[in-house]
Amino acid sequence: MDEPREAVPVPDRPLTVGGMIAGVRMLAPLAIFVAPFGLAFGLAATEKGLAPWVAIAMSTLVFAGASQFAVLDLWAHPLPIAAILITTGIVNARHLLYGAALYSWLRPVPPLQRLPLLAVMTDLAWANSMQAAERGERDAGILLGGGLLLWLVWIGSTAAGALLATGIGDPKRYGLDVVMVAFFAAAAVGQWRGRGDIAPWAAAAAAALAGLWLLPTGWHVIVGALVGGVVGVLRDDA
Amino acid sequence: MTPDLLALAVCVGMAGVTYLTRAGGVFVMDFIPITRRVEVFLRHMASSVIIAIVVGGAVKGDAIANLALGTSLAVMIATRRTYLALGVAMAVAAAVRAGLAL
Repeated sequence: MDEPREAVPVPDRPLTVGGMIAGVRMLAPLAIFVAPFGLAFGLAATEKGLAPWVAIAMSTLVFAGASQFAVLDLWAHPLPIAAILITTGIVNARHLLYGAALYSWLRPVPPLQRLPLLAVMTDLAWANSMQAAERGERDAGILLGGGLLLWLVWIGSTAAGALLATGIGDPKRYGLDVVMVAFFAAAAVGQWRGRGDIAPWAAAAAAALAGLWLLPTGWHVIVGALVGGVVGVLRDDA
Repeated sequence: MTPDLLALAVCVGMAGVTYLTRAGGVFVMDFIPITRRVEVFLRHMASSVIIAIVVGGAVKGDAIANLALGTSLAVMIATRRTYLALGVAMAVAAAVRAGLAL
């Protein structure tokens, strides 16, 4: 057994306002692409019979677009409450891995500051933070600031979609799906550390492909991540 | 309970479940000693999450989305500048889309 040790030195100030401002700046260009999806969600929710204020409340409280769209498919009267909650858990389970992956940033943050920080840990804010971490930045404010910006945009655009409810058409037209994947592709390149990564990455990609065919929505991310992590450890041990 | 209030209660439940997923990974890590092996696992797991999301996006995306994905990869490898990669990828996608619409 190897000895437990500190992964990285603990920064004096793990979360600063300066970091939050940096996070807002980093994610501002992407926030523009979040708005059409919030509009589409607000519109789709009211079309499903949710009161506009309930749609806005859902975006405010839940703040996880993929799961919000997923439960709209289930929304009927009487409400299938168990199915809605289970679906939410399945679609959002990937966040468990996000928190673990960003642990070196989050560990030094005092528990009371962690609570709001973790509430806004969405895909984009997390991926942006991982990139910043890879560049050597150590300020969890980047996650909080970027996450809060996206949260406000998500609430505002949901409200606009739910209240104005005009036909905005297919959100794909505005390219969030494209920009998300392009952003994650760029983030992948930022994570590259050399040839040692080839085997874990290939394993992760293969497992994700299999998961896309075989598992419920969103779980390809979880199997891909776990398989990639295990292969990385096996390679490191060898 | 009125239907709207019930719907609000369901939203609160969804928020609770979602928050557990966001906080749960960090909470569990508080009890796991950070050995070298755990560190290696987490690092590869993190990049593998991103790989898996890209693979899913590539499979679900249309030709234009995949063109943007490839462009972003190429520009990022060449320059290591995220927003340059994104900008060029979006511009290429928009140009092809506009070209197809003509």
